[in-house]
Amino acid sequence: MRCAFSLASFLCFGIANAWAAGGAATAVDDGQWTMPAKNYAATRYSGLAQINAQNAHALHPLWTFSTGVLTGHEGQPLVVGETMYVVTPWPNVLYAFDLRKEGYPLRWKYRPDVSANALGVACCDAVNRGAFYVDGRIVYNLLDGHTVAVDARSGRELWKTAIADLGSGETVTMAPLVVADHVIVGASGGEFGIYGWLKALDLNTGKTVWTGHNMGPDADMLARPGTFRPPYDGGVDVGATSWAGDSWKTGGAPVWGWISYDPELDLLYYGTGNAAPYDPEVRAGDNKWSASVLARRPGTGELVWAYQFTPHDNWDYDATGAMVLADLTIAGKAVKALVHFDKNGFAYTLDRATGRLLVAAPFAHLNWALSVDLTTGRPVIDPARQTGVSKGKVAGVCPSLEGAVSPASPPAYSPRTRLFYTSTNNLCMDYTAAHATHLRGTPYIGVDSPYHPGPGGNLGAFIAWDAASGRKVWEDKESYPSWSGALVTAGDVAFYGTLDGWFKAVDARSGQMLSKFKVGSGVVGNPIAYRGPDGKEYVAIYAGIGGDWALLAGDTRSDDPTDVRAPADYIKDIARHTSQGGIVWIFGL
Amino acid sequence: MSVRRTLVAFLACMALASCAREANPPAAATNAPPPAVTYEAHVAAGGIEPTGGVLRNPHAGDAAVAKSGAQLFTAMNCDGCHGAQGSGWVGPNLGDGRWRYGGADAEVFSSIYYGRPKGMPAFGGVLGADGVWTLVTYLRSLPAPGEVPTESWEQP
Repeated sequence: MRCAFSLASFLCFGIANAWAAGGAATAVDDGQWTMPAKNYAATRYSGLAQINAQNAHALHPLWTFSTGVLTGHEGQPLVVGETMYVVTPWPNVLYAFDLRKEGYPLRWKYRPDVSANALGVACCDAVNRGAFYVDGRIVYNLLDGHTVAVDARSGRELWKTAIADLGSGETVTMAPLVVADHVIVGASGGEFGIYGWLKALDLNTGKTVWTGHNMGPDADMLARPGTFRPPYDGGVDVGATSWAGDSWKTGGAPVWGWISYDPELDLLYYGTGNAAPYDPEVRAGDNKWSASVLARRPGTGELVWAYQFTPHDNWDYDATGAMVLADLTIAGKAVKALVHFDKNGFAYTLDRATGRLLVAAPFAHLNWALSVDLTTGRPVIDPARQTGVSKGKVAGVCPSLEGAVSPASPPAYSPRTRLFYTSTNNLCMDYTAAHATHLRGTPYIGVDSPYHPGPGGNLGAFIAWDAASGRKVWEDKESYPSWSGALVTAGDVAFYGTLDGWFKAVDARSGQMLSKFKVGSGVVGNPIAYRGPDGKEYVAIYAGIGGDWALLAGDTRSDDPTDVRAPADYIKDIARHTSQGGIVWIFGL
Repeated sequence: MSVRRTLVAFLACMALASCAREANPPAAATNAPPPAVTYEAHVAAGGIEPTGGVLRNPHAGDAAVAKSGAQLFTAMNCDGCHGAQGSGWVGPNLGDGRWRYGGADAEVFSSIYYGRPKGMPAFGGVLGADGVWTLVTYLRSLPAPGEVPTESWEQP
């Protein structure tokens, strides 16, 4: 296979092993969790099966650790061999726990010098979405715009590279992905009008190898004639000509979510965030490639295809959610698919070799569009939900700009059940766009968008989804927006956490509750499963509410006597059930 | 570029409005760089406050300036961090009557003019003293809520 001649054989084996989970139910699981989403296919599927639907009722907490940080604990730990690695939100401390010893004492901790100024430039909270282990190194991003590589054995810093510019509104919250000797990274800043990009750094030195922008002229996008073949809406310099004037230069399209990779096609996939500012009338056109999925060659950065979920984004519908790679059977035909649950409320199934749309169906309540046309790939938009300064207040747009699912809450896919599992949100909004001035280093937003509950009486849910047919299979309703990632295992158990602080295990085939435990703070992190040094299966999750201050109203905080806030009217009693606090939990039988 | 044009236009309007009312000193006078200031909220060693200049808000209590400040609050993207009407988002609530760096006019002025740690940008360079005083006048006009310190879910 492709990696055989370019990589050391053990790494090649690692990739093959990690890749296998996306395609085959029978692959042997090594019991580790070395990448943010378990494998390159981003399935968050663990092949471990000791914990199953019959015994999961006996799950109980075995160990906890306070990170000492109070902001939102998104992301997930890594387990490599006999060590667990945890990255905190700002100030981005990296902890290494020795899983062989009682109480899991620290082997070391690494405390980088991260600028506090980043706290005011990160739009929504000081989160970090996790680290990547490769070849004896832990690689992760710092909020103030740096990537670091740390020796996994000693905790010593190997290199630190400035990748983003705080002064222009860039921060870094995403989890990197490493392919061969390239570390793939991107920046947040869709609320600051950045010129969004993806970069590759040299794994050995940290030096930048290539930078591909998400919009702009073909040269900036690394889109070359003949090799860039979008299935719809192509054209020379479409990344610039689909924006009024030079509005693409401050158009956002940040990269703050997840990256996946198909080693057979040699393509990496990532989603881009909202177009900036939130008043769409100052950037007439499709605004390609904001709110899109892009496929690039990891070696050169070359753009191969792109598909835009929300042309001319009117509603802050970032497409930074995970791109999960799974081999599906659609209408009797085997398809190498890419599945994506978008903020805009549609779940998309694409052909990941070409970007062509195969299935698009609502997984949550939405009304900004009526459907997605499978021939043109474009949404059929409801003109009454179009926004802009000239439109004034546009009431009752669903979903809200928090998304039908947060891109921070990645789904899981089980090759056994052939189902996807994801958190969902059920909020709508009244959207009033306002003029925004682009002032470097300050927010470039311009919207007032109060939320209200969607229909049905629940603010969130955890669902199972058939991406081949575009059909919801079951749904567990939640009282609050559901903001955690999903995990599914070969024991046919799915795991997730809730905003009011429950960690739950449910039957992956029926959705039936198997066990739940109150973990001390709302859950916005992603569960993982691993095999400990004692050969037993464990499940780990972060507690620590945060990640979006608009969502949380701020009355879940008690850490600043000079900042007290009233509850938000759509989620009045969340602070009755939870408050801030970063805790790592490990559960077992 | 367009930022500066917008600002110049905005501040010119402010100046005209002020002149029309003939109640305030001309904008040029209030646009002078501020002197060094002391922060009342700090503890002074030996109980002795260090000497410093005194900052006086030329628009204190002026409802028309407060209204302009509300527009400036949106136009300068303050709401992007502090929320609509300063109700708090990633930046602290500015309408709760509580202040990290002091809530007197001069203290709020310093916070906006020079910026603060944890990401509050310095707006003095782009807004000038009078623009900052306009924002101060707006923020000081926000009514402090009554029932924030205690949240209760019990039936009375």
